[in-house]
Amino acid sequence: MIKIAIKDLMQFFKQKRTMLLTFLLPIVLITLFAFAFGGIGGGSGDSRISLQISDLDQTQTSKKAAVLFDSLKGLEIKPTELSIAQDNIKKGKESFVLIFKKGFADSVNAGYNPPLELQYDEAKETEVGLLQQSLIPTIAMMPFSLGDPKTTMANRFNNMAGTKDNTERAIIKERSDKLFDDLSAAMSRSNSSGGSAADFLGGNIKMTKLIAANNDNELGLIQAVAGTAVMMLLFSVVGIGSGLLDEKQEGTLKRLLYAPINPLNILFGKMISANVISILQLLVMFVFAALCFGLSLTEHLPGTLITIAATAFACSAFGVFLASFAKTRQQVQGLSTMVVLVMSAIGGSMMPLFFMPALMQKAAVLSVNYWSIQSFYDVFWRNLSITDPSFLKKIVVLVFIGLILNALAVIMFRKNILKLSRGNFF
Amino acid sequence: MIEVRNLRKNYGKLEALKGISFSIDEGEFYGLLGPNGAGKTTTISIISSILVPDGGEVSINGKNIYTHSRESKQIIGVVPQEIALYSDFSAMENLIFWGGLYGVPDNELKRRAKELLQMVGLSDRANDKVSSYSGGMKRRINIAAALLHRPKVLFMDEPTVGIDPQSRNLIFEVLEKLHHNGMTIIYTTHYMEEAERFCDRIGIIDHGQIIAQGKLDELRNDNGAKDAIAITLNHADERQISALQTFWPDSKMADMNLYFYSQDVKTDLPLIIRKCSEAETDIRSIEIQKTNLETIFLNLTGRQLRD
Repeated sequence: MIKIAIKDLMQFFKQKRTMLLTFLLPIVLITLFAFAFGGIGGGSGDSRISLQISDLDQTQTSKKAAVLFDSLKGLEIKPTELSIAQDNIKKGKESFVLIFKKGFADSVNAGYNPPLELQYDEAKETEVGLLQQSLIPTIAMMPFSLGDPKTTMANRFNNMAGTKDNTERAIIKERSDKLFDDLSAAMSRSNSSGGSAADFLGGNIKMTKLIAANNDNELGLIQAVAGTAVMMLLFSVVGIGSGLLDEKQEGTLKRLLYAPINPLNILFGKMISANVISILQLLVMFVFAALCFGLSLTEHLPGTLITIAATAFACSAFGVFLASFAKTRQQVQGLSTMVVLVMSAIGGSMMPLFFMPALMQKAAVLSVNYWSIQSFYDVFWRNLSITDPSFLKKIVVLVFIGLILNALAVIMFRKNILKLSRGNFF
Repeated sequence: MIEVRNLRKNYGKLEALKGISFSIDEGEFYGLLGPNGAGKTTTISIISSILVPDGGEVSINGKNIYTHSRESKQIIGVVPQEIALYSDFSAMENLIFWGGLYGVPDNELKRRAKELLQMVGLSDRANDKVSSYSGGMKRRINIAAALLHRPKVLFMDEPTVGIDPQSRNLIFEVLEKLHHNGMTIIYTTHYMEEAERFCDRIGIIDHGQIIAQGKLDELRNDNGAKDAIAITLNHADERQISALQTFWPDSKMADMNLYFYSQDVKTDLPLIIRKCSEAETDIRSIEIQKTNLETIFLNLTGRQLRD
């Protein structure tokens, strides 16, 4: 069995074209997908959304607001005269202009929402959505950020009450000021780093991304590497498995049967070599991603190796099973192309699962790709430990898939390959 | 040494073997002759225990090959009809792989591989990829690959098909050497001259049955040991053929060839030509065929061996 596996590996490494297809093509695809999914260069200035700002108010407050927007990560602020800004949009040079209308400062100081208008190119609605996500928290808290928070809070309460009576307004202000001071004192006592009621009011709303915190990897890069790696691996293992059919066609399978070995060792040898090549292929792809795109491989080495081993086991079993199932190499090629593409499409190799309809996301569990890619997400994105039940569950599923497909391959090998090798001798 | 009894094998409705029996002594060179599809390869496949018969028994050294499959395979070497080699490997790598499957130790394996490469005249190409070899060179390596574990019995299935004269001669030399060293050889072929040259005994197989077997002389005697005067006619009608066969009862018509069997060609040939002329037949050619296996096969089946 080991001799047959070594022979298969030697054969593989002697075939330069197969080697190129196994290692180089996936690397090229990973590179393309990494760019496509934004994993590469995601932190550079080039990807920031360009936002023109036209300040018609021209007050200290409106200028402070512009500075506030400029401090937002992901936005590139361009102060521009309104007419020029509108012209830029019409000519397709820019997508939006945020207008600070006259009375901006007065509204802020009075505790009202500031008069802002966003003019945009309708063809860029996707970008508008992204921009809104960046702007809304800042705009909502602008009165507190730009004006005196204590006064703004009192004004807000008075505006909510809607009273014009000065006595009533004074009472509300007095109580609001007292509440503000009590809150600030209480927050100072409970928080060693200091704080004020202004923080409570959202001037500095803290937004924490639970998963992305402390994560060195880009989601797009993980998707590109894991998705492409598994898909390309499936194509490769089909080729390796098909070696069985080549052996039948060239007569070497019959010669192997003449030798004093258990015929099933021929299949087991093929399984071993397919596993070794699969592991090598995945390792090469992840090392490439680490060296060229900064995927933090060394920090996640145990989880990566376990996932690679489980993925290689499941995928190589798939390749050997297909080869045992089919009767000719042509059948394998036709069948494998269809099955691999379908599995890759529903399993999330071609695009992230969250882009797909709910039904497709449920169907994803039927593919090897899904379990493998999700395991890689667990390792690189969710930073799960190798003992985490969620991670282990996916590994167990991959191993289970491998075992089932290998068992089916044994049955089909007995039924198809051995039978075929023994027929038509006379 | 090898005992084959009443071997039967069906492929669906087709009866490939219809109860074949023969025995081979140790050191014997046994030829299994027959046209394509006669059942030679099926027989070899069953004897080498990779194909299960529907009936019958095969034993080697008194041991049933199915109950002692591993043991039997260890003493058998098979040279398949196909060139069953890995074309990306060199000759040396192929030999080491195939020999390794029989449990020959690594250091011994290399020594034997070198010996065999020398024997088949390919020492200087030992490290070249098999894909760069000619058909004849591949055939020689195909033989060498079956000899690494030093089998006591060698099955050779049409080992000289489609090769150049130089390789054929080299293979013949190898065969003679192996036979001389006492190896038991079963050789299937449809080349009569090879069987006549090497085989101690010959079994003629046709349609899944052994129709004659024995030493070449025995086969000749059993078949009257007559030479054939083969006359090829451009045209002849039934009346003309009937007249000639009445004149010479020991004759046979196959295609447009009339075979007149004779123990004294020198005397009989002028008589036959004169009779053909009287019968107004249109003679294209005349050939004297000395009694050989081809003639014997024709006598037995009424067909040419290579039909």
